[in-house]
Amino acid sequence: MKPSLVSHEEVVERISRKLIEANNTLRQEILQQLLSYDGPFSDVLRRNAEVAKSKDLPLCQDTGFVEFFIFTPPNVVFEKPIQEICDEAVFKAYSSKPYRFSIVSDPLYQRRNTQTNTPSICHVFHWNREKVQIRFLIKGGGSENLTTLFMLSPTSGEEELIDKLVAHVYMHGSKGCPPLRIGVGIGGSADKALLLSKLALTYAFDEEIPYPRYVELEEKALKKLNELRIGFQGLGIGPTAFSVRILHFPVHIANLPVAVSFDCYLSRMGVVEFEPVRIESW
Amino acid sequence: MNLLELKVGERIEYTGAMIVMRDAAQRRIQKLLKEGSSLPVDLQGTIVFYAGPTRVVDGRFAIGPTTSERMDKYLKMLFELGVMATVGKGKRSDMAKELCREYRRIYFVAPSGAAAALAEHVESIKLLAFEDLGTEAMYEIWVKNFPLIVAIDSAGNDIFIFSQTLPNGGRNA
Repeated sequence: MKPSLVSHEEVVERISRKLIEANNTLRQEILQQLLSYDGPFSDVLRRNAEVAKSKDLPLCQDTGFVEFFIFTPPNVVFEKPIQEICDEAVFKAYSSKPYRFSIVSDPLYQRRNTQTNTPSICHVFHWNREKVQIRFLIKGGGSENLTTLFMLSPTSGEEELIDKLVAHVYMHGSKGCPPLRIGVGIGGSADKALLLSKLALTYAFDEEIPYPRYVELEEKALKKLNELRIGFQGLGIGPTAFSVRILHFPVHIANLPVAVSFDCYLSRMGVVEFEPVRIESW
Repeated sequence: MNLLELKVGERIEYTGAMIVMRDAAQRRIQKLLKEGSSLPVDLQGTIVFYAGPTRVVDGRFAIGPTTSERMDKYLKMLFELGVMATVGKGKRSDMAKELCREYRRIYFVAPSGAAAALAEHVESIKLLAFEDLGTEAMYEIWVKNFPLIVAIDSAGNDIFIFSQTLPNGGRNA
């Protein structure tokens, strides 16, 4: 396998543009859901989608932290550490628009704003495809606070998993700007399950997983969650969740970690692919 | 309009002033009070909006509510300082409901995830205090026809109780 290159300028340019698009333009599949909602504040939510797009403003003042999932063939060089490239893209987007810088450092004591909205959160994975794919979530702090981890018993079953999920959403769902998109990671380890639950949030509604039993579980969980009638804004009308997406991984005999991550109704995310260029002289 | 007579679930279009502050500013106010220092802003009779606006770029910005429950631990302090009503998003703790009843105060929700539309209702924004906190500083905004729904009224009735019931009727599933 010959080494290939993805120029960091191209990554910064295309990712920053996609970040602006995700912050300002409601995705089509979400817009359709919004147009079928006519409960409290539906007038304002609809107007928001129009104003944000036409006036180049963010849909939400919480323009979030950005979490990246970078999938790359093992022979690709990026010229710079991927973290630096992602942070450059975030700063370029966030400094050029009326967005919020929401990142403080250090987390416990000083909590001083970094004035760049960076660092972003970067996860890098090697895969065997030819392209580089970067997925990202623009994650508001409110929905992030709903994240949870259940270390279930290895003999627990589907029913216990659903009960725990439903009880958690019942208690906290209204605080995460519902209808929610829910990502579930099952197996691996505590940290792997959490990572999978986040990655699951980068899937569009029609991007299915190839495991029928888990698809069935997604549907069962979604049905139960929507019986909660939390609705848009937590005010009781419309769905509690738009989707549940589950990713899983092998696990130790003693463990059954189940992690759950949440995204707000705006569902700000993106996927960008890059064609690596063969490096002839190396 | 007497705010305190509004009932849970009622929607209003509010015109007037609001004090914008969130986690960090309230933490600082609490610290100043503990030290016996004077506060930079008189909160008597004000409405507090839990929010952190975006940066202003070319005169444009966006603003919207943040999760109110995180502010519940400062609610008694605000009411003691004379705050009339709070504005945010999401349900609050039983303690917050009890405080609204005891002090006869109101909690409104503003539409969340709607910051571009809400910014059109904001006529001015002015920094009041704690500039070093950036978006978490205290601001005063003047708003026109700002959409609000009463989520806890001054009798302690809570909109989130009416809208949420578990299918099995139990609260401890």
